[in-house]
Amino acid sequence: MDDYRELKPRSKLFKKIYIAIMLWFVGRSIQAASRVDKDIKKEFDDFPEGFTFSLGVAPNGPYMVVGKDKQGKVKYLGWNRQGKRIDVDMKLKNIEAAFLLFTFQESTCRSSARNRLIVDGDVPTAAAIVRVIDMVEVYLLPKLIAKLAIRRYPSWSIMRTLIGRSRIYFRAILGY
Amino acid sequence: MYSPGYYEFCCRVKIVAGHQALEKIPGLLNDLNANKPLILADKGVTGAGLVKILSAAIENQIEIGSIEDDIPQDSDLKVVNHLANVYRDKGCDAIIAVGGGSVMDTAKGVNIVVSENADDLMKFSGAGTLKHQLKPLIAIPTTSGTGSEVTVAAVIADHQKNKKMLFTSYFLLPNAAVLDSRMTLTLPPFFTAMTAMDAMTHAIEAYTCLAKNPISDAHAIRAIAMISQNLLNVVKNPGDKNGRLALANAATLAGVAFSNSMVGMVHTLGHSVGAICHVPHGTCMSIFLPYALEYNFHKIESFIAEILFPLGGEDMYRSTPKNQRAEKVIELARKLNQDLFDATNGRHSRFLKEIKDREGRQMVPKDKLTEIAATALGDGSIFYNPEELDYDDCLMVLNAAWEGVPLDRSRIKKG
Repeated sequence: MDDYRELKPRSKLFKKIYIAIMLWFVGRSIQAASRVDKDIKKEFDDFPEGFTFSLGVAPNGPYMVVGKDKQGKVKYLGWNRQGKRIDVDMKLKNIEAAFLLFTFQESTCRSSARNRLIVDGDVPTAAAIVRVIDMVEVYLLPKLIAKLAIRRYPSWSIMRTLIGRSRIYFRAILGY
Repeated sequence: MYSPGYYEFCCRVKIVAGHQALEKIPGLLNDLNANKPLILADKGVTGAGLVKILSAAIENQIEIGSIEDDIPQDSDLKVVNHLANVYRDKGCDAIIAVGGGSVMDTAKGVNIVVSENADDLMKFSGAGTLKHQLKPLIAIPTTSGTGSEVTVAAVIADHQKNKKMLFTSYFLLPNAAVLDSRMTLTLPPFFTAMTAMDAMTHAIEAYTCLAKNPISDAHAIRAIAMISQNLLNVVKNPGDKNGRLALANAATLAGVAFSNSMVGMVHTLGHSVGAICHVPHGTCMSIFLPYALEYNFHKIESFIAEILFPLGGEDMYRSTPKNQRAEKVIELARKLNQDLFDATNGRHSRFLKEIKDREGRQMVPKDKLTEIAATALGDGSIFYNPEELDYDDCLMVLNAAWEGVPLDRSRIKKG
């Protein structure tokens, strides 16, 4: 047995760091977008107070957790899931699947269709979260890249896209 | 030729099909080290004499633990728990489910409870919660439609909490599906049309939606061909045993296909119409099928065109110019609905507005369409549709399907 070297899976540190940063920024952007965009706010209005969802990479992360507090405000709750009740848990099966999604080589729907995304929880709520993430991607990304990440680029006015984008970036960076 | 970058496919159900397939069940159970099955059915199935046929086919070789036929149309948590107690009390060691989707789902629920020795089925809801092989389960479909005999899912309703729970696991797959022409021979023409169009939709959506893959495609294409070649004939000649068996095989093929590549907007809208207006599932499927093909046309024209071969046959495929084949498929889907309408004396509905209940009341009032559209946005199948669907899109399709007019394709927002 000594003749055989133990092979350890590569840690894929660069990809993990990239995904962690993306999740952090998308989480803060969801919080920001819920205060800027009326359609995103409307999606969250239907969720109960205290509702929490998580998006991340199985089995050990990174993750992001987003929730709705008692005042009805949407908040990015960080990367740590421990001690939090997760109502809708969305996990990408591995870091490679997450990398495809977060480098916009694959849309959320395509990722789901290829069995890379596991959703645990209420399906209508998960569908609403996917709609929110799609809208946030439209705000964050240039049209050319966003078109790869979603099934159909929405026909929003330039004002909505540009002003919304500026406000969401501003709020996401400052964290409010 | 389309090939996805990655896909997963699994079907480990043994299929036993034939005019005397039921007689093979004792041998199947023996192979699974079981000899005292609990038979589950519903009142319709026993009323049609199907359990008697089954009993006669197996009782000389095997002891039947109990026959329970008190299963409602909508699978129910309390019923599942009750049947699990019967299973234990009678010392059963296997389950035979005879019926449609509800009986199959109930049987899968009972199997979870008795195999996990649990008292609360709901602990096992969701995906991936089951970790062990369950007790032997043999599924005998009595409609040629749902494909539940080869699917990994079960939906059980908790009517007290007004909640429907989804269970998915490869362990829920039955050990064997037995397709016997005697089990569908008495299905009335209207139900035959409705359930077979459900299977047709499974196959077509499996072939055209986002999770399509080569193995599902092969199953879907054969299913479409078998339904196309046999459905109208069986509706007109219900005693056609070979046609019945072909439809049963087609429904199972379609079930294998969609269980591995999922379904799209026909189900998105159909589930919602069913939930709000209590319209039978197959009726919704047949109505929405041509509309979904029109709506997604710009994204999947080549896939739709390929369907012409199994749907219309070789001669039609050859004689139709390549750029007209997809349109021809939509035309054929509408024609099939019209032919079934004629063959069932108008019982097979072509549009939403002509669906009536037993008392002759309209089941889908136009003012319900907004509620249906809103509900559709929460259906899981929406993820797998090739084109995006928002509230306005759903409403546009629903309005056209209600009136029975083709979709105004200039209004479709193309992604």
